[in-house]
Amino acid sequence: MKKIATVLVCVAVGVFLVWCPYLVSFYWLRILTNIFMFAILAQAINIIAGYVGYPAFGNVVFFGLGAYSTGILMVKFQTTFFTSVLVGMAICVLFTLLFGVPVLRLKGHYFAIATLGLNEATRAIVDNLSGLTGGGMGLSLPLRAGDIGANARYFYFVFYGTMLLSILVTYLLSRSRFGYACRSIRSDEEAAEGMGINTTKYKTLAWMISAVLTGIAGSGYAYWMSYIEPGVVFDMTIAIKSFVMFLLGGPATVLGPIVGAFFVEAVSTLTWSHLLNYHTGTLGAIIILVVIFMPQGFISFIRQGFSFSTFVKKGKKKFSGREKRIEMA
Amino acid sequence: MLAVHHLGSGYKPLQILWDIELSVQEGEWLALLGPNGAGKSTLLKTIVGLLKPFQGEIWYLGKEISALPVHEMVRLGIALVPEGRRLFAGMTVRENLMMGAFSQNDNGKITAQLQRVFDLFPVLKEREKQVVGTLSGGERQMCAIGRALMSRPKLLLVDELSLGLAPVVVDGLLETLVAIKQEGVTLLVVEQDVNTALAYADRGYVLREGRIVKSGEAKQLLEDPSIQKDYLGY
Repeated sequence: MKKIATVLVCVAVGVFLVWCPYLVSFYWLRILTNIFMFAILAQAINIIAGYVGYPAFGNVVFFGLGAYSTGILMVKFQTTFFTSVLVGMAICVLFTLLFGVPVLRLKGHYFAIATLGLNEATRAIVDNLSGLTGGGMGLSLPLRAGDIGANARYFYFVFYGTMLLSILVTYLLSRSRFGYACRSIRSDEEAAEGMGINTTKYKTLAWMISAVLTGIAGSGYAYWMSYIEPGVVFDMTIAIKSFVMFLLGGPATVLGPIVGAFFVEAVSTLTWSHLLNYHTGTLGAIIILVVIFMPQGFISFIRQGFSFSTFVKKGKKKFSGREKRIEMA
Repeated sequence: MLAVHHLGSGYKPLQILWDIELSVQEGEWLALLGPNGAGKSTLLKTIVGLLKPFQGEIWYLGKEISALPVHEMVRLGIALVPEGRRLFAGMTVRENLMMGAFSQNDNGKITAQLQRVFDLFPVLKEREKQVVGTLSGGERQMCAIGRALMSRPKLLLVDELSLGLAPVVVDGLLETLVAIKQEGVTLLVVEQDVNTALAYADRGYVLREGRIVKSGEAKQLLEDPSIQKDYLGY
């Protein structure tokens, strides 16, 4: 019964979002597109940090790699956007294959810091290869032909489709053998290894999926904005924001990061447009309230029938979930 | 079945085990004894491949296996019940058991093996859909043993069987291990309670400070004055 209700709500929202571009203003279209982009990033973090338990803070490196693949290919080699997305995905895959084995040997904070290092190093390289990347001057991409409305709808559907893809991937992962391997690694990596699970293989694969999704979002961003520079697409605040969305929505759930992205972006847009002088403070206060009253994220808040809980009560009832969240934060 | 020659192992750079010589015959129950920090768990982890040996060889069914990764070992029929259970929190009993069958790909055999585990531990069948966090200590150990059995091992390594368990629960588990042995599984059991360990085992090895200091028939070891003095307080 509950399951049917969930599916119905999701389908209704999904259909409404297809209809949306013909209803709302360009302003809101742009905000929704941005929400979809962050939903993809949060979902990508969910796959590696939520399911496998590896807090990939520096995942934004794939956003930058995707953006620069698209930028360089479209500007210097005059390829189509689609080709550049495929090449960007391939580069993300190569990157995880190259760094997966050494970096995924590290755990917890050490892994998080190593991924930050990868991001900073890649940013520095891109910054200095000015012949190819334009360096600090940035890179201007060709504008998409067509009028403003058509373009806005085009990018809306590019990100919407990618978001649906990320949800589908996570859904399949959550119920597959692969997903169980990931969850067992998060729970106890040595025991998982002892069960005959090739942990290196599954960790790397999960990171690869996460990287590819992030890379597609980066490619889309580059074409959408039509201008990129290293400081913008390798920006740590993108990583932090998507991490906050992932944690608020609910780690290791299929829809949690999506809900989290909608919430954070919608609230920050509303506070920004209505409370210009206080918007960061208001946003911070709202996030604190959410963490206090829904410590396990929105999804479990909804699952438990919209009942508020506090740290204290939760601590007694369900320890493991909160423990995990603190560890990850 | 299993032979360990001149084995040295530990946690790099710290060497724990020195010059270990050990052999396990097919179908026997071997007890591994020794005080805390003697290297018992290190030895089991090295055999199953979680730790790589510094020196020496591990022969299993006529093959040198010390360089193989753990998932290969599990496929060859070595399974470990880790110290402190190490169940997968957040998963149900059934999911935990199925994780043990991860290296298997014959669904028919997996189902049959699951049935066998439920026959050995009927309480796990009752708790099939419960999250493992809700189990008692004894049930958790049953689940851990069941999970290891799901890979249909020929050699079962059990680390600290009685850790944190009531004596009556330990008795039940030991009886189950007897049944498992009768089905042809070879056992290598680490146990603190020397009296019970040697009462069930065929042979025993005593480890101290990373070296094997004594080995022999379980009965002989029980009567050995130095063992009695060190472990039994006579």
